[in-house]
Amino acid sequence: MSELLHLDRRSLLSQALLLVGATATAGLSGSALAKVAAGPKRFLDAPNFTVLSAVADTIVPRTKTAGAVDAGVPATFDALLLNWASPATRTLLKGALLDIDQQARTQQGKGFAALSPEARLAFLTPYDAAASKVVPVTGATKNALSALMSGPPTANPSYSKLKQLLVTLYYLSEPALTQELSYEHAPGEWKPSIPVTPDTRPAAGGAF
Amino acid sequence: MFDAIVIGSGMSGGIAAKELCERGLKTLVIERGRKLEHGASYTDWMQPWELPNAGMVPEEELARDYPIQSQCYAMTSATQQYWVKDSESPYTTPADKPFSWIRGNHLGGRSIMWGRQSYRLSAMDFEANARDGHGADWPIRYEDIAPWYDHIEKFIGVAGSKEGLPQLPDGEFLPPFGLNDAELQFKSAVEGKFPGRKVIPGRVANLSKAQPHHEELGRNSCQNRSFCERGCSYGAYHSSLSSSLPAAERTGNLTIVTDAIVHSIVHDPKTGRATGVRIIDANSKVGRTYEAKIIFSCASTIGTTQLLLNSATDAMPNGLANSSDMVGRNLMDHLYALSVVGLLPKGPDTYYHGRRPTGLYIPRYRNLNPAGEGNDFVRGFGYQGGVSRMGWRSTALGLPGVGAELKDRARKLGPWMVYISGFGEMLPNPNNRVTLNANQKDKWGIATPHIDCALGDNEYKMAARIIEDGKAMVQAVGGMVMNVSAEPGVPGLGIHEMGTARMGKDPKTSVLNKWNQTHDVPNLFITDGSAMASSGCQNPSLTYMALSARAADHAAKLLKEGQL
Repeated sequence: MSELLHLDRRSLLSQALLLVGATATAGLSGSALAKVAAGPKRFLDAPNFTVLSAVADTIVPRTKTAGAVDAGVPATFDALLLNWASPATRTLLKGALLDIDQQARTQQGKGFAALSPEARLAFLTPYDAAASKVVPVTGATKNALSALMSGPPTANPSYSKLKQLLVTLYYLSEPALTQELSYEHAPGEWKPSIPVTPDTRPAAGGAF
Repeated sequence: MFDAIVIGSGMSGGIAAKELCERGLKTLVIERGRKLEHGASYTDWMQPWELPNAGMVPEEELARDYPIQSQCYAMTSATQQYWVKDSESPYTTPADKPFSWIRGNHLGGRSIMWGRQSYRLSAMDFEANARDGHGADWPIRYEDIAPWYDHIEKFIGVAGSKEGLPQLPDGEFLPPFGLNDAELQFKSAVEGKFPGRKVIPGRVANLSKAQPHHEELGRNSCQNRSFCERGCSYGAYHSSLSSSLPAAERTGNLTIVTDAIVHSIVHDPKTGRATGVRIIDANSKVGRTYEAKIIFSCASTIGTTQLLLNSATDAMPNGLANSSDMVGRNLMDHLYALSVVGLLPKGPDTYYHGRRPTGLYIPRYRNLNPAGEGNDFVRGFGYQGGVSRMGWRSTALGLPGVGAELKDRARKLGPWMVYISGFGEMLPNPNNRVTLNANQKDKWGIATPHIDCALGDNEYKMAARIIEDGKAMVQAVGGMVMNVSAEPGVPGLGIHEMGTARMGKDPKTSVLNKWNQTHDVPNLFITDGSAMASSGCQNPSLTYMALSARAADHAAKLLKEGQL
């Protein structure tokens, strides 16, 4: 069944998800990002924290609802670097941030955080697409579900890990769970079938 | 002097203590781990944004202290307190035969973190060893244990549907947690295409509707939160802390000691009886002995094995109650982690509300015919699983893209995903064995276990069938198979270890008689997983509890009659 392991779940998802186009470009200004960076003692120094904030804000911007910076994701990510990550993971994640910044300098002539929100999105979209290209794997999958959830190996695993953590921290945050999705700590009754309406939002708190 | 000592406070120990206490026996429960308080010790209050490190245990700590425990799906930063530190709980295996021993040492044991799936073994399962010659024949049949299944199901509360299947007997059920619309679609497709197969709601020890006898113990109906492994302040699932120990406590006959490492069982060669239990106080490091008329070992399969072997004396040099040389042999788990995941492009346009504490179950359907069915393996398997709509983890991260587009995507309901995972029966094999390391002791000076266990030819053939059947069933409902794990999990990861002090008819080939009483030491009973003569493919805790209650009833009668 090795052929199944090579399936790109993304193409399957593309078929299954009815996607709509992006809404209006969002994003925080450079001065707003600098304000976020001036906080308590952190793992990352202020310049790198500003890059982190810019990346988080570009991946999950403020729209009609809170974005990653509103949800405090840069600070919680920095706390993960301090409290959760091993030295190797710290190096990997910091490297992913620095690479984005360095590529921006090379291509745009200034650091990622110094770009306008529109320019950041224009830069990061193709960067993300190239980094997220699936690398074929060989060998057996140990756990189908966790393999599916963590996604296939990508061309730039450092960036993929960075993005995964930032997106995860956002969707575990109170603003995301109350504004973007729905979350009830104690749902009470199990209702096996309810209608889908325009207001229906995915319920968070489950495994998937 | 107590009437009874129960070693271990987990799934079987809690029930043994309750049943003994309710029969008037002054009972001491000895727990090696720390005391936990129902409610106060739990972490089910944590909101998603309050999870330490987003639910992740620090990487260096995980690698250093939890290399084995972290392989368990339920280990997160919110449940970290419930798992032993591997760094402090040594055991060995042959280099080429890993065994993942998943443990929790605290009051309530693994009943706090258990998966709660609760299925009866069937008549076919109790006859299996006799039928195909693997293992020793069970000394009991389904009829012997059926009333005790009733008794336990009623007490703990099991939600499930009556199906009338001989291979998966119905029980005393609370209302089931019903299948969602996609699962009904899956059910219809599987049952239509494969006559004889059934897709049913998972039977689970969560109170879909608490009954008065549950409420008397302070237990409430399930709130469909799916935080069960963190401990449930509602008492909505059965655990020793929420259910069996409070029932024992209200009799006034229960004493509990925690932080007490059981070293050995004291045996009097003159009388042939066990007289007590030696413990080491985990805090003061001081040893003491508790005495009782009867002893129940409910220390978990490998724990009980270690204890019996460590209780060897001049009179019993191979270990206590081990004249058969079967103590430690026939270690079994279930085939585990054999999973198929698929997408349902044409799932129903509906949703569900709540996070129910179970999913679907596909009862065994192979080798039901005693005359044989042409399969290249004996025994059988079932599946657990579910069909659910993919959430933000998949929709936000499953495709490239950043910015408002990513948020838009995650705001929409994801496609339906079907996930089924096989649980297969492992044959009893005397060479799958737990022994003690003569040269390695733990910090209490107790010889550590050496676990030598591997899957055999029958298991690998069954594993291949689990995967092929799983793919066919996912495809039957129009599912696109997206991921398959065809390699069985490391033994132990099913967390259904059992069989190392098996019940049997013949004292020469078994450790326990039909009442879970050791053949060699009449006042020593063993009712944890080690008693199992075969594994079935059903999650075993319900059977451990039924055997515990049945044995406790018998032991109390013998005591009353002056026979012990």
